[in-house]
Amino acid sequence: MKKILILLFCAISVAQAQQGGTVNIRFDHFVGSEVLNLDTHTYKNAAGNEFKVSLFQYFVSNIKLLKKDGSAYTVPQDKSYFLIKESNEDSKTITLTDIPKGVYTGVSFLIGVDSARSASDISQRKGSLDVAGEAQDMYWAWNSGYIFVKMEGVSAQASSSNNVFMYHIGLFGGIGVKKTLNNIKYANVSFGKEPLKVQSGKNAPVIVLIADAMKLLNGPNKIDMAENPSIMGGPFSTKVAENYQSMFSFSGFLPPIKAAK
Amino acid sequence: MPAKNKIIILSAFVLIVCLSFKNTQDTALFTVPGNFPKPAYQFARNPLSADGIELGKTLFYDAIVSSDNTVSCGSCHQQSAGFTQHGHALSHGVDDRLTKRNSMPLFNMAWATSFGWDGGVHDLDFFAVSPITNPAEMNESLGNVLEKLRKSEQYPAMFKRAFGTEEINSERFLKALSQFMLTMVSANAKYDKYMRYEGVELNETELAGMALFKQKCASCHSGELFTDFSFRNNGLGGMTDDDKGRFEVNQNEGDQFKFKVPSLRNLSYTTPYMHDGRFKTLEEVLAHYASTVEKNDFLDPLLSQNGQLGIALTADEQKKIISFLKTLDDEDFINNPKFAETTLALSIPKRNVELDVMPFKTKSVKVKEVLNQGIEVYLKMKEAIKTQNTGSAAALSERLPKVLRKIDVSKLGKKEKVFFISYLEKVTFNADHIIEGEYSAEHQADHFNELSKYFYVLIASFKPNSTDLYYHRCETSDQNWLSNKAQEVLAPANCSTIKTIKL
Repeated sequence: MKKILILLFCAISVAQAQQGGTVNIRFDHFVGSEVLNLDTHTYKNAAGNEFKVSLFQYFVSNIKLLKKDGSAYTVPQDKSYFLIKESNEDSKTITLTDIPKGVYTGVSFLIGVDSARSASDISQRKGSLDVAGEAQDMYWAWNSGYIFVKMEGVSAQASSSNNVFMYHIGLFGGIGVKKTLNNIKYANVSFGKEPLKVQSGKNAPVIVLIADAMKLLNGPNKIDMAENPSIMGGPFSTKVAENYQSMFSFSGFLPPIKAAK
Repeated sequence: MPAKNKIIILSAFVLIVCLSFKNTQDTALFTVPGNFPKPAYQFARNPLSADGIELGKTLFYDAIVSSDNTVSCGSCHQQSAGFTQHGHALSHGVDDRLTKRNSMPLFNMAWATSFGWDGGVHDLDFFAVSPITNPAEMNESLGNVLEKLRKSEQYPAMFKRAFGTEEINSERFLKALSQFMLTMVSANAKYDKYMRYEGVELNETELAGMALFKQKCASCHSGELFTDFSFRNNGLGGMTDDDKGRFEVNQNEGDQFKFKVPSLRNLSYTTPYMHDGRFKTLEEVLAHYASTVEKNDFLDPLLSQNGQLGIALTADEQKKIISFLKTLDDEDFINNPKFAETTLALSIPKRNVELDVMPFKTKSVKVKEVLNQGIEVYLKMKEAIKTQNTGSAAALSERLPKVLRKIDVSKLGKKEKVFFISYLEKVTFNADHIIEGEYSAEHQADHFNELSKYFYVLIASFKPNSTDLYYHRCETSDQNWLSNKAQEVLAPANCSTIKTIKL
């Protein structure tokens, strides 16, 4: 009996030590230095195209919180797939729970869906990955795989029939005999001098990141809507992926908000 | 704990594990034919059950999966055509939109490693999303399909029987469809019985054909599935950038204009052939390999050996190979009632075309006259379809729209005009296909059924007939027709219930 009590005590202490904190990440959408406003605001890219954005959304997955010593805490797979949509305010703040107490210096994540999950069986496609639900317009049925980043809008310079531009970037490298392009990119964002302290309890800090949609067009590769109004599964998609790789940056921390129970 | 107890507990555990394995897979639902390799599908993650298969089969035949509830999987994958579509080079989806490629026959899916002509889908469980969401096929969203199923009368209970609860989600929907498709095993052709020593022998020509086949065709059409599942360019001429096949999936420059090597089973039922359905007969296919293979940058090296294009085949060799290929026809498969729509436990409620009938009742003598002429042509066409006189059916199909066009639509009321033009278009579309399908009685019959539906709505709306007309509709198949007899069976009808409406 004594033994059992000791065991129980140990188990409780371990559980307490392991009880982590909650962290929110908020994604603020910009186009260059301006806030992204769907359909109303006109922006201008380096190629001189004037454009409005009607849709901007992307997957964030395989999130890691980075530590000073180079180690990292990896958010468990099943809690690590998020679809961020400009059109859905709630989707722009994600909540990570059970984060071990500690000091973190940055965050890294995959922009899109990793190859293992992209090739996984249907039982692994729940929540934001549900091809009949949240991921419905972020999934290519004919060339089975997720669209990682999607931006659409209009520009007078877009050389399509209705001046629409559509950038749907996906492709995870394929599976088995089916090899495809591989546009998997990771974002690596440092919090700068100010590290993040995660404590257990109900107060959850908010990491604010900026996602700059302009980066899709103005990166190492300049995208001209007159030449490329529509970029999807073709080889040019790698250019856009190279561009958006650097679309995330650190904005700051917000005072902790009460985490939901 | 004494060792004896441990052993007892351990044995009990082993027994439970064994029993649970036994329960996960009822072998009677899927068996690997004696001459077949191991299936590629991972059955452990989607154990078949009788209820799961039945659900999948119902979904397969239900047009609820399309945006306007008119197109089902079974529309373009018909059992009697080896689960491709009779005589269609390309198929039509909603609003008669044309697909890009010939619909592939469906059988032996458990062994396939990729799906579609370009292999863009790697897992059978994900395949159905493609036709459902393709604008030229079902043009529907998967989310909306699930919503329709949730609101339906019969599906929640069917999902419960198959998966334990009434929940309808993408995983269950797709797995049920897979379950049905996995059961579509075709392995009972003459060839199979010969290979399994089931007392069936191939004749001399067939054996000679088999030897030639092994020598000249089997490097691509290999094994018991008669495909190596690879993607190749077979030197078809006239390819355009509209369809670059495998390249569209992997953007690999070397894979341009390559398409999947298809299985060669059930060829007698699956005409036309190739990804674009360009060849109507096996003779044409063999002639292509023998003499019309065109050089291109992506041509398969096997079709360009020793400076020779194509495969060296004499006319006699081509004939022998064709007789061998016919031993791969599996009549049991295309006639097996367990795959047929007619054996569904719960029949799918058919769209009630009677609801489309408008109360126009024309008084114009001219309109009545023309429509009565139309009825006359239609009834003759029906006789031609009934007797499988394909030439005559085609000629009459050419005449029907011409007769109907004699109506001066400017004389019709606004509503009548819109209605008439729309139904004339539908009738003409199907009449065109009856003309085009002159070589295939089945193709004609399919389009005759469609035509009859629209022609009935047209006639019943304007009511031009002075003598009695009857609309007969089979409740368990697509068969329907107009007749001047109160009772009529349209051979080869295998219809248990016929509903008749008097006009």
